[in-house]
Amino acid sequence: MTNEDYITSGILELYAAGALSEEERLEVERMAEASPEVQTALEEACLVMEQYAASHAVQPATSLKARLMDQIRAQTAVTTETPLAATQPVRPLYPDTTQEGTPYKWMFAASIALFLISGFMSIRFYSNWQNAEAKLEQAIAMEQTMAQNYQTASYRLDQQSQILQVLRNSDMRSIRLQGVEAHPDANMMVYWNAAEQQVYVDAVQLPAPPTGMQYQLWALLDGNPIDAGMIRMENGNAVAMQPMKGIGAAQAFAVTLEPSGGSASPNLEQLYVMGEVKS
Amino acid sequence: MQNQPIKTISEEELILRLRSQDASAVSVLYDMYSPTLFGVVLQIVKEDETAEDVLQEAFVKIWSSFQSYDSSKGRLFTWMINVCRNLAIDKIRSKQYRVSQKTREIPTAPRAVYGTSSFKPEHIGLREITERLSPEQKQIIDLMYFEGLTQSEISEEFDIPLGTVKTRARSAIKTLGKLFKGRD
Repeated sequence: MTNEDYITSGILELYAAGALSEEERLEVERMAEASPEVQTALEEACLVMEQYAASHAVQPATSLKARLMDQIRAQTAVTTETPLAATQPVRPLYPDTTQEGTPYKWMFAASIALFLISGFMSIRFYSNWQNAEAKLEQAIAMEQTMAQNYQTASYRLDQQSQILQVLRNSDMRSIRLQGVEAHPDANMMVYWNAAEQQVYVDAVQLPAPPTGMQYQLWALLDGNPIDAGMIRMENGNAVAMQPMKGIGAAQAFAVTLEPSGGSASPNLEQLYVMGEVKS
Repeated sequence: MQNQPIKTISEEELILRLRSQDASAVSVLYDMYSPTLFGVVLQIVKEDETAEDVLQEAFVKIWSSFQSYDSSKGRLFTWMINVCRNLAIDKIRSKQYRVSQKTREIPTAPRAVYGTSSFKPEHIGLREITERLSPEQKQIIDLMYFEGLTQSEISEEFDIPLGTVKTRARSAIKTLGKLFKGRD
């Protein structure tokens, strides 16, 4: 295709009117660059389209220019800042950047330090808390033991003061019951207030009774045995200073081993201890 | 408007000032070319408000991407018109714009409404152009220039052979060239 053919084909007009694809457009530009004739023809076509465009001219609103110039100025301000700074000599720029960077660097370093410190403190406080928790548990356990001990002690004190009260009474008589021949190691004490009909047994040294058997206390008045109650045993030992049945008059006291619940009359074969009331 | 003489400077000087990022050159550029550019954009988007937005966007683009203008490939004015045309055509092809156009339900007004034959006496009026160009010639030029259709799209949509599209475009521009030359 000669240049003349190319010019008259209408492709340049399509180019001027904007009806070509990207590739077609680049092809026309290549042709125009290679040939001054094509170049001139293309410029002519474009000029016509410029004039065609100008024949449609409409004045835009006057406010548009102000809006546009504001935007241009705003954009220029933003875009020129960097090149201006870049063209400044190195020396003034250097301290500038360090000065600008310093507070942020320090803040960054400080925040890291704070983070590490807080992490360290958290671990410390957590372990302290755990220790404290364990110690508190120990203290609570100790306190419970102490309270138990105190209760036991005060219970014993009550018992002791009760015993003391009983013993302090001037009407109270103490009778020592000694073991009979068959049971020489056995012995116990009976405290008796005849006026108030109170009988207590204490310091019981009797062997542990076989199962189903109990020790029974008897008061002997004019040769007749009177039931004075059963001796309560706990873990093989008699309860200290335990009150028995009321007895108004007796010359002696004795203990026999009887079936649980006691008997109406004593089994003398199973007599363990005996003691006379000293007048 | 006639009493305010528009400051015009040569294209070479404008190009130099724009290359050196002289913002005041935009002001001159605007005074010299905004009516034509606005007219073109208005022909494409058919709506004052949108046309203003597009024109503003176009000037910002001309300013910010001026480095991409190659004066050996064509005149500054042609390049600027094409920046405006491309933005305006992108706009009408965007889905959003089509939807807003549909909801407005404004019937497409004839193009002649936007041009005023008496506005610039140094330019050929639209009435004269429509008298000289055949309806087919005018249609083909406007489809290309103001609708952004390519030669093959026109050929397909209007069922015109590709060769006819080319010859019609050529004859239209030849006719216009004669008309404009006669006035110069």
